[in-house]
Amino acid sequence: MGCGSRIGLESAATDAGSASVALAASRASSLLPARPRLGLTGTMAILIGLLLALPIGAFLLVPISPRLLAQGNSWFTLSAFGEALSGPSLHALGDSALVGVGAALLALACALPLAMVLHRTNIIGGRLWQFGVWALLLAPSYLVALGWERLFEPDGVLMRAGLNVTAFQRVLYGPLGVTLVDGLKGVPFAFLAISAVLPGLGSGFEHAARTHGAGRLASLRVVLPILAPALWASFAIVFAETISDFGVAATLAYSAKFPMSTFALYYAVGNEPVQFGLAAAIGWTLVGLVGVALFAQRRAMRGRSYQVLSGRTRPHVRVKLRPAAQVTALISVSLFFALALGVPVVGAISASLLKSLGTATHGFALTFENYTRVTRESALYEPLLYSLRLAAITATVVMVLSVPAARLLTKRAAGRIGRTIDLVLLAAVAVPAIVMAAGYILIWNLPVMHAVGISLYGTTTLLTIAYIAGALPNTSRILVGPLAQLHESLLSSARTHGVGSAIAWLRVALPVLSRYITWVWLYCFSATLLELPISELLYPPGSPPISIAIQRRLENYDFAGGTAIEVIAVLGALGIAALVLGGYRLLAPRGWRQVGLAR
Amino acid sequence: MIPRRSSRTAVAVLLAGACAVGVAACGGAKSGSGAGSTVRPASSARGPSGTEAASAASATETVTGEGSKQTLIVYSAQGYAPNSVKAFEEETGIPTKLVENSTGPLFARIQAEKASPQWGLFWVDGQEPFASLDEQGMLVKNLEIPKLTALGEELVPVDHSFVPTGITLACAVIYNSRELTRPPTTWEQLAESRYAGKIGMNNPSVSGPTYPCVVGVMNHLGSEAKGEAFFEKLKKNGLEISETNGNTLHLLETGQISIGLIQSSAELGATEEVKGLKIAFLPKETVLPSNIGVDAKAPPVVREEAQKFIDWVLSPAGQHQMKIGDPHGDSLFWPVAASTKPRPELPELSSISTQQVNPYEWGKKEASINRWFTAHIVE
Repeated sequence: MGCGSRIGLESAATDAGSASVALAASRASSLLPARPRLGLTGTMAILIGLLLALPIGAFLLVPISPRLLAQGNSWFTLSAFGEALSGPSLHALGDSALVGVGAALLALACALPLAMVLHRTNIIGGRLWQFGVWALLLAPSYLVALGWERLFEPDGVLMRAGLNVTAFQRVLYGPLGVTLVDGLKGVPFAFLAISAVLPGLGSGFEHAARTHGAGRLASLRVVLPILAPALWASFAIVFAETISDFGVAATLAYSAKFPMSTFALYYAVGNEPVQFGLAAAIGWTLVGLVGVALFAQRRAMRGRSYQVLSGRTRPHVRVKLRPAAQVTALISVSLFFALALGVPVVGAISASLLKSLGTATHGFALTFENYTRVTRESALYEPLLYSLRLAAITATVVMVLSVPAARLLTKRAAGRIGRTIDLVLLAAVAVPAIVMAAGYILIWNLPVMHAVGISLYGTTTLLTIAYIAGALPNTSRILVGPLAQLHESLLSSARTHGVGSAIAWLRVALPVLSRYITWVWLYCFSATLLELPISELLYPPGSPPISIAIQRRLENYDFAGGTAIEVIAVLGALGIAALVLGGYRLLAPRGWRQVGLAR
Repeated sequence: MIPRRSSRTAVAVLLAGACAVGVAACGGAKSGSGAGSTVRPASSARGPSGTEAASAASATETVTGEGSKQTLIVYSAQGYAPNSVKAFEEETGIPTKLVENSTGPLFARIQAEKASPQWGLFWVDGQEPFASLDEQGMLVKNLEIPKLTALGEELVPVDHSFVPTGITLACAVIYNSRELTRPPTTWEQLAESRYAGKIGMNNPSVSGPTYPCVVGVMNHLGSEAKGEAFFEKLKKNGLEISETNGNTLHLLETGQISIGLIQSSAELGATEEVKGLKIAFLPKETVLPSNIGVDAKAPPVVREEAQKFIDWVLSPAGQHQMKIGDPHGDSLFWPVAASTKPRPELPELSSISTQQVNPYEWGKKEASINRWFTAHIVE
């Protein structure tokens, strides 16, 4: 009861008197000075300020004025920055930057040809491969890294199977291996950003180039610069994701004795004695790194227009591959998925099916015992259902909010506020989630909040808001690609025909973007389902999400049980992804589904 | 001037966001809810200002037929805590909620809540975290201590700011008997060349029980410097450093090392599940008790409930739950409650040579020793 019906009653009451009130208001408005209006930019600025800038800012304030937030005695100090910018912390920052650039380039190098092949050719199993990209996106980075470790570690699965992988071990357990795993994990982000704009590009530009005598490769040179916004957005997302990732840093990079900044930051937050000051100072250095990436992106895109998606965009025609090309494409794509998805899947499945991970003592006795054990326990279902519910709510809210946020990122007229929002959103991607979670406690648990009756900390509501804040930066950036190419003429035409901005958006832009928005929902849902750092610090007493249940098992060396729950959760998320995509196919009007599709 | 229509869009966006979050709030606010009871934030019930408001925030108030009770919020890393909390609530009727995680994140949560603590009771392994909280004035002093064993009494701090609930050992030797027939019998032997490349332990910056292990070795060898020299020798011989018990056990089980130095309860659990793994106790094993401390800012009602929880944990009913709650892990402890026997898998504690380290003295050095360990041994 409550929320919905109250809003309904209020709106009914409003409707009753609306006509006379509107008439009076319109007369009055001509006489009175104009009221200041919030506008889309202002509204999003307030929302993003509350959701992101305030908590992250609070945490980042700790090394400068710890006393302000009851975290120390000094009103002003910079001592934590000294530690963050010297010795092991500085070394870790260098490693993070190196891996970030390498992973972003690798992700682009894989995602661009993959998107071209899947979207613009008639490769066999196209839909299956696209689903593979989603499966990779759903897999938590630590699961991917552990999969690699389980297979290739000394006395691991492959060595036990008699394969000599010593040479590859040396590569894997080092900077190259860390970059490889981070890069492969980054491919879905780059793929989504690129594939969001590829179909909308149509075939016109390629045909024009071909008409003027360009070969297939030369025509690509025409198309690629048009994709620049998506390519830069991909680079920025993968870079920021990589330098803020903890999963690979805590597993493979740790085993490889290759320290990265996020690990140093988590050390400082999650271990005794807790050093929020040092953690926040490291957070500043990560934000600085993203600032450099953002600067590069802006320099590259300054003053250019990439608007190509319009009402006149025609579906492009898929290139029909000859048999030899079909085989080559299939082998390449299979190889990619074998590496990116096959390795972690085999790692996770074998881990969940082994009686114990003790390969030295138990051999390879496979059993479903771990699955029957965890599914028998009622402790599994409550956290799983709780996380599913929160993931669905988060994904829905983020789906609504990320469109205007992305619109601001692409809108040239957004001005200084728009640019600030851009910076805050990208910085939020770079800052590890635990920073934001700690900031949420610092702000929402201030005595003044309780004094004014806002007691959100320790509730599901604040956890959900934090999930939303955690997901919004990424999803907005994913939508930047398609929105950058949405031609203003589409909206102008609608307005010329007499509809307002909001209706124009709903009737014109939404159908064009509906597919991408559905993807955003799915990505957000899957990312929230297994989210750990925010959950750790903000979950309400007595209501652990599924990620906490898994984490506790892994910590207690129930690797097999923990991995079995992970596999169940990932399968559940894949099932829901299939349902949503199927639902979209069934329910969305045909025209919505046709935008940008190949023939 | 901003067009009127974009203002409408803005309002629509705000409404959509507010409604969706409202749905989360309406349908999802589970915190503190108990069957058959009405729950409201204690802060709104106890008045808004000052310390009282802050302390009131550490619990929610539950109105029941029997009168007014507040939810006791337990922060714990103990594997048996879910069982214990549930049984305590059932037996006493005191509404109790658990925040379960490893010690590090719980400690981070407590630190972040410093301005207005939400936790009522903290229950984890190790004395150093409690010594640190006590020195910051964050623990209730003069707790009533139920009847304990002689060793248990020795572990109680002078100001009674925390109470031991069981004992494990910080780092005994666990070894693969198929690969190692002669395990070491002294700490010094571990540095001999015959064990080169065969030893693994956890990182004290990540694994809670490992810091007491490291300082225990330093204490046993006579000084911090001698301890550092010992770990540097191990490092030269190829000491493997992992994050937590699970990772070190994994190296041991996959044959990458032959000896692990980890917490005794994790070792005992592993030896039961994996054939060929055995435990050896070295001289002067460092005692690692689990402890309970109570939030100094908790309102009187919560303090009383916390004291009842302590009494109950050390009663036969509470000890039973501790012993059955995590049979392959934390339940493998030696009781400090008087007249309580350990699980049959445990050897007699009196047959093992043990030592205690001063948590207040070594707790102050935790940051610097961990930094040294990370710089010289881990990297």
